[in-house]
Amino acid sequence: MIESMMKTRLFQWVDARTDAGSIIRSQLTEYPAPRNLNYMWNFGSLALLVLVLQILTGIFLVMYYKPSAEMTAGGFTVAFDSIERIMRDVNFGWLIRYMHAVGASAFFIVVYLHIARGLYYGSYKGPRELLWIIGVVILLIMQGAAFFGYLLPWGQMSFWGATVITNLFGAVPVIGDLISEVLRGGFAVGDPTLNRFFSLHYLFPLLLAAIVGGHVHALHVVHSNNPEGIDIDHEKETIPFHPYYTIKDAFGVAVFLIPYCYFVFFNPEAWGYFIEVDNFVPANNLQTPAHIAPVWYLTPWYTILRSFESKLLGVAAMGASLAILFVLPFLDRSKVRSARYRPVYRQMVILFFISVLVLGYCGHSAPTATLKLVGQIATAIYFGFFLLLPFVHKFEKTKPVPERI
Amino acid sequence: MKLTNMKQSIRLSVAAICLALTVPMSASASEGHGHALKDANIQMDHDTLRKGLEVFTNVCMGCHSAKYLRYGSLMAYPELGLTREEVDELRGEHSLMDGMVSELTPADAIESYGKVPPDLSLITRARRGAGNYVFSILTGYEEDPNGKIPEGNYNIYYPGNRIAMPDPLAWMGHSEDETAEIEGQAHAVASFLTFVGDPHQFERERIGVWVLGFLFLLAFVLWMLKREIWKDVKH
Repeated sequence: MIESMMKTRLFQWVDARTDAGSIIRSQLTEYPAPRNLNYMWNFGSLALLVLVLQILTGIFLVMYYKPSAEMTAGGFTVAFDSIERIMRDVNFGWLIRYMHAVGASAFFIVVYLHIARGLYYGSYKGPRELLWIIGVVILLIMQGAAFFGYLLPWGQMSFWGATVITNLFGAVPVIGDLISEVLRGGFAVGDPTLNRFFSLHYLFPLLLAAIVGGHVHALHVVHSNNPEGIDIDHEKETIPFHPYYTIKDAFGVAVFLIPYCYFVFFNPEAWGYFIEVDNFVPANNLQTPAHIAPVWYLTPWYTILRSFESKLLGVAAMGASLAILFVLPFLDRSKVRSARYRPVYRQMVILFFISVLVLGYCGHSAPTATLKLVGQIATAIYFGFFLLLPFVHKFEKTKPVPERI
Repeated sequence: MKLTNMKQSIRLSVAAICLALTVPMSASASEGHGHALKDANIQMDHDTLRKGLEVFTNVCMGCHSAKYLRYGSLMAYPELGLTREEVDELRGEHSLMDGMVSELTPADAIESYGKVPPDLSLITRARRGAGNYVFSILTGYEEDPNGKIPEGNYNIYYPGNRIAMPDPLAWMGHSEDETAEIEGQAHAVASFLTFVGDPHQFERERIGVWVLGFLFLLAFVLWMLKREIWKDVKH
């Protein structure tokens, strides 16, 4: 299909004036990919798909959404009203809105699995350090975009979530209060906050799109890792991306869309995990909800924050837990990439995955003494993974790595 | 494709996720407010919804609004399917585009009850237990065992038990043969409000069946195609 498209006169005309043809050949039709990639390698293209879905549905939502905290009848606000108008009166508004709300969670599921793949098979290791670092930047921007977006419905959880998080910055010495004030556009979360969060919620995905371009470009310079984690012979051990991986990714997309559409059409709130019950209550600055928790995808970091008695330490630890991802490629000194051939690392990384899940669970639940202790242990395991990493290569007996895939 | 190692870690992770997901779900089901909520057995068929609308307009709307439910929607939603004449009778001077708003002003409400009654458009989505919560509250009035809270303001399902809404369906002190009738009203209005909370839910699920059907077919075709294209690749 692509070959016949490239033979048309229109394409020939464009190709004579640009480098379109050589880009398509080098990046798609003749781009060499390892022939042994497993289905864990599908999540990159899925993340790209969800990003596009989020941007498209977002553009349509903005046509009807009104970022204003001005009060209307019944204790609601203009912003809350505009979303209910989308849900009830706009043709297929409910579809667009649920696609966007479910899409936010889907985005994180896909990206977390993508990151887990990178960790397990050592994709962050040389020569792909920069590719990994760009990926961490993408993760941070995603989390920011999700946080800003969650304020927009102006429900109770939107309001109090934003209040808690912007307050955190107050813990920074000297300039803390200034930072929270600039973030909120005032002394408390209010109409100015809603407007600037809306502006940033539109800006961040555009940044994301640009940086994702960088991520893909960086990938195509250093090429894909593979489950064996070994350098491959680009002549003999690769297959062209098209049609082999275009069809495999297309199949992955169809499989992904099944649970995605199940949630969009049959269970958009996902039992309160994707859209929280309290967010159907309009924001009320005089009434704090009984239990404030971020949406599930931010809860692991919320638990790390809550694991420390001192607010400043908590904020620092939360920041460190994300920042440490940047230096991961330089902490790991082992010459072997894939966990398949690294018995110690394999145990460590699985324990790390479990610690993140436990952290997520603790952050979602109402705090109890037991959960706090569990959260602290999981926090210790989370950081322990990174602290142990520089020393593993000294005692780890790696299994023999195959010469060829 | 050798998936064994990753498979094991996925299996472990999936097990952990399932564990993490089931615990809060069972916790929220029993959360209630000291009392587990009654099961309202919500039914959103035409007759129940019409009966619920009647209870809503005759009883609830004395104080509560459902401002996101427009009079015109009563005709437009096929699940309700009122005729123009029926809507005209209900709306009086209101336009079809107006939401169903109570005559009780917030100021009068505060004077009489001490607070403004919440809008009910989204009440079933804004409370844990959804329709069961509404049903339980309406049939949860009792005498305060401690004798502190005045009669009609004590509700076993309400957080803190002191509710400002005075027993709207006259649940307290009803005779035994009225029980079914009052429960029927509570059931109908709880079902109606569950519908109002997300009025496109049936349309959504109807479309969803076709979407999922299509996707299963698409996935199958793409899987066949993938197998065909990959059949000569050693991997």
